[in-house]
Amino acid sequence: MTGVTETRWEFSAIGTSWQIQTSSPLPAAIRDAVAALIEAFDRDWSRFRADSLVATLARDGGAVAAPPDTAAMLDAYVELSVATAGAVNPLVGDALARRGYDAGYGFIDHGARASPRDWTARLDWSEETLRLSSPALIDVGALGKGRLVDRVLAEIAPWADGRIVVDASGDLAVRGGPERVGLEHPYDPRRAIGVWEVTDAALCASATNRRAWGDGLHHVLDARTGQPVRTVAATWALAADAMTADAAATALFFEGGPELAHRWDVQWVRMTTDGRVEWSPDCKAELFS
Amino acid sequence: MIRTTAVPRQLRVGAAAASVLGIAVLAGCAGTTTSTTDDAGSGASSTDQAVDATDSGSSSGSATYTDGTYTADGSYATPESVETISVTVTLADDVITAVEVTGNPTKTESEQYQSQFIGGIQDAVVGQDIDEISVSRVAGSSLTSGGFNEAIDAIKAEAAA
Repeated sequence: MTGVTETRWEFSAIGTSWQIQTSSPLPAAIRDAVAALIEAFDRDWSRFRADSLVATLARDGGAVAAPPDTAAMLDAYVELSVATAGAVNPLVGDALARRGYDAGYGFIDHGARASPRDWTARLDWSEETLRLSSPALIDVGALGKGRLVDRVLAEIAPWADGRIVVDASGDLAVRGGPERVGLEHPYDPRRAIGVWEVTDAALCASATNRRAWGDGLHHVLDARTGQPVRTVAATWALAADAMTADAAATALFFEGGPELAHRWDVQWVRMTTDGRVEWSPDCKAELFS
Repeated sequence: MIRTTAVPRQLRVGAAAASVLGIAVLAGCAGTTTSTTDDAGSGASSTDQAVDATDSGSSSGSATYTDGTYTADGSYATPESVETISVTVTLADDVITAVEVTGNPTKTESEQYQSQFIGGIQDAVVGQDIDEISVSRVAGSSLTSGGFNEAIDAIKAEAAA
């Protein structure tokens, strides 16, 4: 369809599939730069590899040189945490691992545990330093992939004419032209609940149906309780940048999400687990009945 | 317990049905039911919660689940009250063709939300076949890859052994 005059570069990274669509093939040097950027992000923030910065902090705590995305992401976490009354928390990593979503993909549930509510007292950061007063497992899953999509798009944009789509499976950013995106039904991946045309913006989706294991367990935990969310099955958020959209898509699983989306100028759609679909007042997605 | 999440690919739609049904039941642990049947015995949803199957039609050769209409009732506590809802799912050839949710949640809090930050609400969206709408890509949950899938497969194999 739209691929007639465009090229697609596909690869796997950070535990999911990526697809980058450009009007002409990217030079090898740019691909290498993108791969290096993703590798560096993964080495800093992945809680699934033993040599990452967050794995080191989880073992030892203490202060390290702050990775480039530290302030942008953790500042947004402060807003997320406040807006959701603590449901979103970057120290949720230990709780996720405890429920079975650990670095070894053990998927053995050791029960619910609340994450430290006073995370801003334990974790502090500046442009230079990232510090944990005591060991804890940082998880930037609420917005990290969106941030990485933004970084990749910024790396590519100077080298690509025409339309660019950076799609990290669930989180995507579009520049230079429209892209029609189906909103996958969380209970039936062969169906869509609507279509969103994305132009010079980012659309991020989150749903509980794939990163799921065990008895009703999935990757969206309420940090206050360590329990998986039960009322929202899927969210979609559209914003100028992917980190904002990703963060809003996470917040929309919780009370306070719609207010935060309003404040951030984010359009959204979400499906609750009883099959209802809700949308923001300014939402321009085309929704099916 | 009925799972609330979709699992293996070949059980996908069945698990999806279980999801919809499971929510109503899981949310409150107080499911009430009208009769008991095993829903096509796939293991995606062990049925210690009963499911009422009516209108069982013929299932096609590849179907994992028996066509028909499945209903479950459930209740859940909100900060203000205990809500009850009933969810009915219609399955044909392993595809959900209809979802109906009945019940009358009081949800004063939700209504307050709606007036300010929610533009609209639509009940029980079934959606359209992705092959029949003109889209270049789809956004939902992230595809999982590598270790995640292998680990899940290993657990399933263990469970089946």
